[in-house]
Amino acid sequence: MFTQAGFAAAFEYWPMFLEGVLCTVLLSAFAVFFGFILALILALCRMCKFAPLRWLATAYVEIFRATPMLVQVLLIYNVFTLAFELPTFLVFGLFRFNRFLPGIVALSLNSGAYLSEVIRSGISSIPIGQTEAARSLGLPAWKTMRLVVLPQAIKNILPAMANEFVTIIKESSITYLIGVQEIMSVVKAVQGATYRQMEALVYAAVLYFCLTFPTSKIIAHFERKMSRGYKR
Amino acid sequence: MATRDKLARARTEEYLAEHPADTEALISVRGLKKYYNKGVIKALDGVDVDIHRGEVVVIIGPSGGGKSTLLRSLNLLEEPTEGAVFFEGVDISRKKDDEGKKIDINVVRQKMGMVFQQFNLFPHKTVIENMILAPVELGKLKEAEAREKALKLLERVGLGDRADAYPIQLSGGQQQRVAIVRALCMDPDVMLFDEPTSALDPEMVGEVLDVMKQLAEEGMTMAVVTHEMHFAREVGSRILFLADGKLVEQGTPDEIFSHPKSERLQDFLSKVLI
Ligand SMILES: Nc1ncnc2c1ncn2[C@@H]1O[C@H](COP(=O)(O)OP(=O)(O)O)[C@@H](O)[C@H]1O
Ligand SMILES: [Mg+2]
Repeated sequence: MFTQAGFAAAFEYWPMFLEGVLCTVLLSAFAVFFGFILALILALCRMCKFAPLRWLATAYVEIFRATPMLVQVLLIYNVFTLAFELPTFLVFGLFRFNRFLPGIVALSLNSGAYLSEVIRSGISSIPIGQTEAARSLGLPAWKTMRLVVLPQAIKNILPAMANEFVTIIKESSITYLIGVQEIMSVVKAVQGATYRQMEALVYAAVLYFCLTFPTSKIIAHFERKMSRGYKR
Repeated sequence: MATRDKLARARTEEYLAEHPADTEALISVRGLKKYYNKGVIKALDGVDVDIHRGEVVVIIGPSGGGKSTLLRSLNLLEEPTEGAVFFEGVDISRKKDDEGKKIDINVVRQKMGMVFQQFNLFPHKTVIENMILAPVELGKLKEAEAREKALKLLERVGLGDRADAYPIQLSGGQQQRVAIVRALCMDPDVMLFDEPTSALDPEMVGEVLDVMKQLAEEGMTMAVVTHEMHFAREVGSRILFLADGKLVEQGTPDEIFSHPKSERLQDFLSKVLI
């Protein structure tokens, strides 16, 4: 099944693996960043007084949570390439933009749905007294949200956000199907060249582990530190 | 929903025609009702109250009687089901005034400081940041002015050296004193207190009551919900007794505590004045 020659042959492709790691990290970072912004908007919509906005945001979240990521990625990629003439330049001289961008969009849209739940629970974990105190001072609703509630909520949800980053690193592997040059696509490239994929898959697993395991440990460390509260 | 609002407004107008608001009073409440669960719970069931400038109105009564609801209706933290709240002669429970100008509740609230049972300081901000947040954000004061003012207020309540502490580093009594000066930083025309000492350890109650007493002596208009009957008697200029959502009795401290008329009040006093 595994052969030493196979490992050696796959190892020849280490520069490509490195590029794959870079691509995976960039993809995931962008996805979580834009996903967060989208999630914030969705969470605020879901809590607003205007009912249609609330329904729209809820429908969005439910649809993205109830359909497979694979379907979402393929759909979004195809819609994107049919709707827009995407430029074909290389991001950092490495990654095809016309694949990279739809990949980011698909992951962000998915991540936004999941993170909006996280943000919503983060906001509702802030005691109502905080809002009342701010409003009683004359601060309008949006300033109360921005200056009093969100800073506290975001501090509470930072660990969950970082966990989402770990999740997205793993789930981003799916985007090799639309030609994003991340780690899994390197495995496919190695398979094409050497007619073997087992050893390359092992390398990929090791690389994913090296990305996610330390990240989760760092998160856990900060989680412990932050739970000590607002002390200097 | 909208038609129900309109009906409630119509009934309010009718009530106001027979019981006009006292436009001389700082706060004038007429026919105030607040229902929960579609009227199953009547937190307030028709209350008329006037609060004049310089008065210290103390609200007492059994738990669940509607004291908090009344206080929170004054700055519209609770939206009345029916009835009107006038502040400085303007009906703030309406969306627009007589000339069709929109009533900005945020501007009204700037003039009504509020202190809560649970302090509600912002835990992610230092004491002084808590105090200057609203005045600076609302363009009332420049940051330097606000800091100067906040420091003076902190000195006055004996916390001049805690300006840069975080709320969690303070005792309950200290936190509540900060909450009071945070409200004062906005230069309010009236201060509303909802059981400001109920969450405090007994040894810290005095320091907070002292600050409130000092404030009363300086002529601040105050509405205070409290179970501190000594404070009510000593500092209150008028006592309201609220039970079952109704204003059962009101009068001077002497009238209320020494000559209670209603059975409900006599019963209440017999339980709290031991
Ligand atoms: N948000 C709410 N939902 C339902 N019932 C409420 C709510 N707020 C207050 N009430 C009810 O209204 C009544 C008056 O409450 P409150 O004004 O807090 O009384 P007090 O401050 O005098 O103890 C109580 O029966 C209480 O249970
Ligand atoms: Mg109460």
